[in-house]
Amino acid sequence: MRIGRGPATVIGSNSRKPGHPPLAQRPAPFARKGEAGSPRVSRGAFFVSGGISRRNRGGFLKKFLPSRLHPAAFAVLAVLTCAAAPAYAQSATHSSPEPPAFREVADELGRTIRIPQQVRRIVSLSPSSTETIYALGLQDRLVGDTDYCDYPADAQKKTKVGGATNPSLEVIASLHPDLVLVTKLNRLETTQSLAELGIPSYATDPHTVADILSSIKTLADVLGAPEAGASVVEDMQRRLDDLQRRLRDLPPKRALFVVWAQPLISTGQHTFLADALRRAGAVSIVNSSQDWPQVNLEEVARLQPDFLVFAESQPGNASREVQKLGTLPGWKIVHAVRDHRYAVISDAVNRPAPRIVSAIEELARQLHPEAFAEKAGDTKKETEKENPPARPLAFAPFSWNPPHSPHGHSSSTGGCLCGR
Amino acid sequence: MRPLTFRKLFFQCFILAVILFFVVILALKFGAVPVSLYALGRDLLRVLLGQSSQISSDYGLIIQNIRFPRIILAVIVGASLSVAGTSFQALLRNPLADPYVLGVSYGAAVAAVLGLVAEPHLALPPALAALFTPLCAFIGAAATITAVYFLGRRQGQIESNTLLLGGVITGYFLSAIIVFLLSTVNSSNTRGMVFWLMGNLSTSFQKSVYWFLAAGFLLATGVIYASANDLNILLSGEKEAMHLGVDVRRVRFVVYVAASLLTGLAVSVSGAIGYVGLIVPHIIRLIFGSDHRTLLPTSALGGAIAMVIADTLARIVVAPNELPVGAVTAVVGAPLFIYLLRRRLA
Amino acid sequence: MNPGRSSAAPRTPPESTRLGTETRLAVEQVSYAYSANPSQAPLFTLEATSFQARPGEIVAILGPNASGKSTLMQLIAGVLSPLSGRILLNGFAIHSLSPRTRAQRIAMVQQESRLLFRPRVWEFVMQGRHAHGRSLRFESHTDMQIVQDALMHVGAADLSDRLMDQISGGEKQRVILARALAQQPLLLLLDEPTLHLDIAAQVGLLDALRRLSARYRYSVIVVTHELNLAAEYADQILLMQSGRCLRVGPPASIYQRELLEQVFQIPLRVEMRGHGRPRVTILTDS
Repeated sequence: MRIGRGPATVIGSNSRKPGHPPLAQRPAPFARKGEAGSPRVSRGAFFVSGGISRRNRGGFLKKFLPSRLHPAAFAVLAVLTCAAAPAYAQSATHSSPEPPAFREVADELGRTIRIPQQVRRIVSLSPSSTETIYALGLQDRLVGDTDYCDYPADAQKKTKVGGATNPSLEVIASLHPDLVLVTKLNRLETTQSLAELGIPSYATDPHTVADILSSIKTLADVLGAPEAGASVVEDMQRRLDDLQRRLRDLPPKRALFVVWAQPLISTGQHTFLADALRRAGAVSIVNSSQDWPQVNLEEVARLQPDFLVFAESQPGNASREVQKLGTLPGWKIVHAVRDHRYAVISDAVNRPAPRIVSAIEELARQLHPEAFAEKAGDTKKETEKENPPARPLAFAPFSWNPPHSPHGHSSSTGGCLCGR
Repeated sequence: MRPLTFRKLFFQCFILAVILFFVVILALKFGAVPVSLYALGRDLLRVLLGQSSQISSDYGLIIQNIRFPRIILAVIVGASLSVAGTSFQALLRNPLADPYVLGVSYGAAVAAVLGLVAEPHLALPPALAALFTPLCAFIGAAATITAVYFLGRRQGQIESNTLLLGGVITGYFLSAIIVFLLSTVNSSNTRGMVFWLMGNLSTSFQKSVYWFLAAGFLLATGVIYASANDLNILLSGEKEAMHLGVDVRRVRFVVYVAASLLTGLAVSVSGAIGYVGLIVPHIIRLIFGSDHRTLLPTSALGGAIAMVIADTLARIVVAPNELPVGAVTAVVGAPLFIYLLRRRLA
Repeated sequence: MNPGRSSAAPRTPPESTRLGTETRLAVEQVSYAYSANPSQAPLFTLEATSFQARPGEIVAILGPNASGKSTLMQLIAGVLSPLSGRILLNGFAIHSLSPRTRAQRIAMVQQESRLLFRPRVWEFVMQGRHAHGRSLRFESHTDMQIVQDALMHVGAADLSDRLMDQISGGEKQRVILARALAQQPLLLLLDEPTLHLDIAAQVGLLDALRRLSARYRYSVIVVTHELNLAAEYADQILLMQSGRCLRVGPPASIYQRELLEQVFQIPLRVEMRGHGRPRVTILTDS
């Protein structure tokens, strides 16, 4: 489903019915602020422009400013005047009738936000939200994303608003988003500042893989693309179910997810990452309520994980890392390091977006190759059709030595569903 | 009028060495993996008898390969930071001077972060790759200290205040660069990089690294100790020291280089662990006086004791997880320092 | 050593001075220029200055502020190198000696820097022994004896175990002198030693100085603003003004009303007394 594709045709198309949203273009950055569909508060923020007719205003400013500067200049103006917003908003509460084009939704932090009926301009402040929007086919509504939004490749061409923790409010404001998507990567201050500018922000905060699915579904509803959402989530669910079926009778592998090796940082049990490991037929040896605990190496040597799991952004990093660790006395006594038992998956696993299912599948294939011995070709084809992985599955650096763990959790003795 | 004798010095050091020994034993006992004192004693005996091959249990391996090297690292880092702190305090005639006041740790951190970014692209052999970041950190520390030295020079002479200010400003400048680096590199890598600013002893190194650190520590401490009397006199003022026969320029240069070497070594393996180099010398001064012939070796031992205790706490407080040891030293050190300051004023 | 000698004005060379040299310190046509920057014109110039001092002699350098007194002291102490001319101590150029050798022969008493960590009095005096013996060592019995003697000579033996910040200004000044004595120097330099001392302490210090210089034949160079004390205790006076040495000689020849009035820019009266020690009275308008 594609919505609002292509350049907008008419600037003053704000009276059009929902479903055919135009994309406002640069020449009239403030034009849409006067329309019925925009939040009240933001009108307050830009009230200085009220007396001047739109067309004149653009021309007036154009005389003095190089055209490239417009968005930034307006954003400065917006920030400067935002202090006046609350007062204006209060007075407006009683006077103006509630525009029908508004609705209230609750986000995953439990905040109620008011957004236009039709969300036409979205800014994403995290790579995962960006990926979700692309998966939902709503990329044409995405008007801005962060420097780290690198997937799919097209996302890199969007207007960049800066990093996740320090996005430029001016750039965001200049993009006039109807909605900003935020996650835990972002700071609370950012959402507060956005609220002061009258820009609603919708937070997603999934803690399990199931959360990710429902989160995508809800977001799709909020963005007005329920069919796309249902289809994406259905596909994810189907692949996860398939995985669960294959791994059902296999004992889980005991894994250590290595976020950083020296010092050793892993992932806590209440994160979707830990849940992703479970879905891939692995269980994290780290039981911490912290999200990113620094783990004592002694504990790792005592628990002897079957596998180390690395999520890498650059191919080859993980194999180098394991070789490196193999030279250190402290790590040498970890059998998984000594025997080069490790799995490498795409760093999509770090992102609560549809692609995480591919990463889970990748991991499952490496941890339980026997479960995929038969139908590997089919599954792979399906995977690529719906949701192409970032790159070919990383089997290459994977050297298998039968683990001889002293704790009896040896994986090679585990049952195999699909026969050999 | 009781002059310092060799016997007195030896006695003081011996007491601290005994304390250090017991602290190390306790540190060996406590940790994420429980171990009994009996098993510990038995294994220690085996190591001493050269029969370490008989230690076959997993616990033995963990103690031998993870916990013991880490304690040794704590000993060397703690001693290095303390000796460096003592030296800088005398050299700069400033009781607030500590190994990091000259911006060393930030220099190390900048280089370490650059090293972390560059390392994947360099295709180094694994053994060197494991050493690459510490090496970068050391070079960064050395470069910063050299730069600050030249900033602090006026007409060929080191000026304490200029040097101190130069160091502080360099530190601010470099920390700004770190913030810049951390916000531009890919966000998933920053967690490990922040380590260089927090201080951490959990890093595992090849055995040769420990020998190298120990040798560097002994060499630098020896060089500083040879100037112990000069430092005593330098504390009364530079002009006075000159008239009393101290070659102020030479002593400053030698001690500066040696103390910097100690700091660089410590930072390159542990990141920036604050307060140890600042507080331990002050406490030792309260106990043993400010004579550097006593102060230097007792500070080294005291620093080692403090660091082993701090690191043990870092290991066991939230076991099986860990705290950065820099957080422990800061939490304990800052109030202690305020207490010492008030006591001094009273 | 010639402890039996008691004369305050050693006009005759003692027989133990070897090589027939009567002069211990010889300042020969020494000049110096100070500038903030090598390429700039000098801010301060010390014009060629010459004088000599013998063993046991007390030389006072007098002059208003910025007349070059301290610069001359620094040159004699060997901390600065002269632009031209030379300064010889027993025939050796001072600034070519190593800091260590210099400290064995020259001791300097000056306004003390703030102490960072307080030592005990005896430890402080022990610093004077630094230049003698190896750099890193433990104090020998001889060192302790010398320190005790030095403290006794300045009348501070009872202070030896006190902390340096627990003694009065006058006591401190005596302890600093004791440290200089512990260096067993040939030449004792004092930069305004009587500053901040009350009258009794000033007299006490200078009495001790005269006694010690007579006994141990130190040549003493003292920079001071106290015209009357200088006249009372010095054998030779060096009068300086704006970087020039105006006159060198015994007090009686220097203390002339016109000369002093011109140098110090204040009306005064000079009263010549019988034993060659003049006395100066400042005349105020009232």
